[in-house]
Amino acid sequence: MSLSHLKIDNSPKSPFYDFIAEYVSYMLACGVHTARVISCATRICEANDLRMRLMTTSRSVVLSITDTDGNCETRVMAIENQAPSFRVNALLSRLSWQAYDEGLRLDELRREFQRIKASPRFPFPWVLTLVSIANACFCCLFGGDFMSCMVVAVATLAGFWLKRTLTSHGISRYIVFVLSSFTSSLIASVSILLNCNADIAIATSVLFLIPGVVLISGMVDTADGHILVGVSRLIDASLLILCIAIGLAFTLLLVKNSLIY
Amino acid sequence: MSLIIDIIHDFFPAAVAAIGFGAVSDPSPRSLLPIGLLGGTGHLARYLLMTFLDADIVTATLGGSLLIGFLTLLLAARVHQPLSCLYIPALLPMVPGKYAYKSVYSLILFVQSTHSSDEHFRYMMAFMSNATITFMVIAMLAAGATLPYFLYRDRSFSMTRQRHPKKQ
Repeated sequence: MSLSHLKIDNSPKSPFYDFIAEYVSYMLACGVHTARVISCATRICEANDLRMRLMTTSRSVVLSITDTDGNCETRVMAIENQAPSFRVNALLSRLSWQAYDEGLRLDELRREFQRIKASPRFPFPWVLTLVSIANACFCCLFGGDFMSCMVVAVATLAGFWLKRTLTSHGISRYIVFVLSSFTSSLIASVSILLNCNADIAIATSVLFLIPGVVLISGMVDTADGHILVGVSRLIDASLLILCIAIGLAFTLLLVKNSLIY
Repeated sequence: MSLIIDIIHDFFPAAVAAIGFGAVSDPSPRSLLPIGLLGGTGHLARYLLMTFLDADIVTATLGGSLLIGFLTLLLAARVHQPLSCLYIPALLPMVPGKYAYKSVYSLILFVQSTHSSDEHFRYMMAFMSNATITFMVIAMLAAGATLPYFLYRDRSFSMTRQRHPKKQ
């Protein structure tokens, strides 16, 4: 993680300020909305008799931390691009309460923070299976028959696997979303040949791509007064939804003559 | 009897869908069951509002998402998870996928029907109406589920606290 320092005074508490800056930027990268990040970081600072102010944009965060003597230090951190994580959100929030209630020292905080960062994500085979079943259930909710639900499950499996593979190769998120949406909807259009609810199958096959966390966090941030980061997140989510629509549109252009409007 | 079947048919697919969509965002395993309960309950509430009170999809979605928001306050305290980790995946089964799909489809047909002004206008109207409903439903999802967070702000930030404070 890139860290650029703008140090007004190199105080003995500098390592603690570095930790807070890393904690805040990691939390924001995990899709946590700004008010919660401020609340958690402020809690850790208060437990150590510090006062913190921060300003965040979509790509970086600026923190200003002041001690009881009035000495102030500033940190500028980049916010990495990474997948949202509810588990990390909960664990980092819990860590802030532990710091507040139990008075954890810096080395304890660092150790726990590194442990949280290193902990494995929800196993991918489980995610793939659950998402495929979930999207099939979605198709069922929209009135799809059994066959269209099966087609949607297979389409989701392929689309989600492609999304992960392309993402791991460092390809732009927007291209990944267009290609995943196109692949899923194209596979779902097989339902036209199987004489099942083709429009429902195609419509639901791309819904696993909806960026729910970014969308809701953006709305909460905007409503909460963090307009800059809130609108940035909403624009980011809108662009991803546009990419999903472009992928779906490519499929519809190919199969539209077989669909009933 | 048919009502019970309808309820089961609505609740369980929505609950499974919520759990599956939650899995994408790396949830804590202990939060999966509450996510399923919230997703199923919210979607069922919307179904019942639309079926028995003839509510439109936007109003019914607001009802469903409000229910999810308030139930999240209760469940999040039990499993020590932040509110957003439970209500975000629980809202996803209520995303208006059909309307979003129709918006994209109408837009394609609109672009390709420049030769006939009647069809051109009809597809534009269809796009506007479907896109507006999609936007309104998504806005109601966010508004309903986050209202409890704004009402009980301090409480919502202390869900992950696991012991009584020494300080204060």
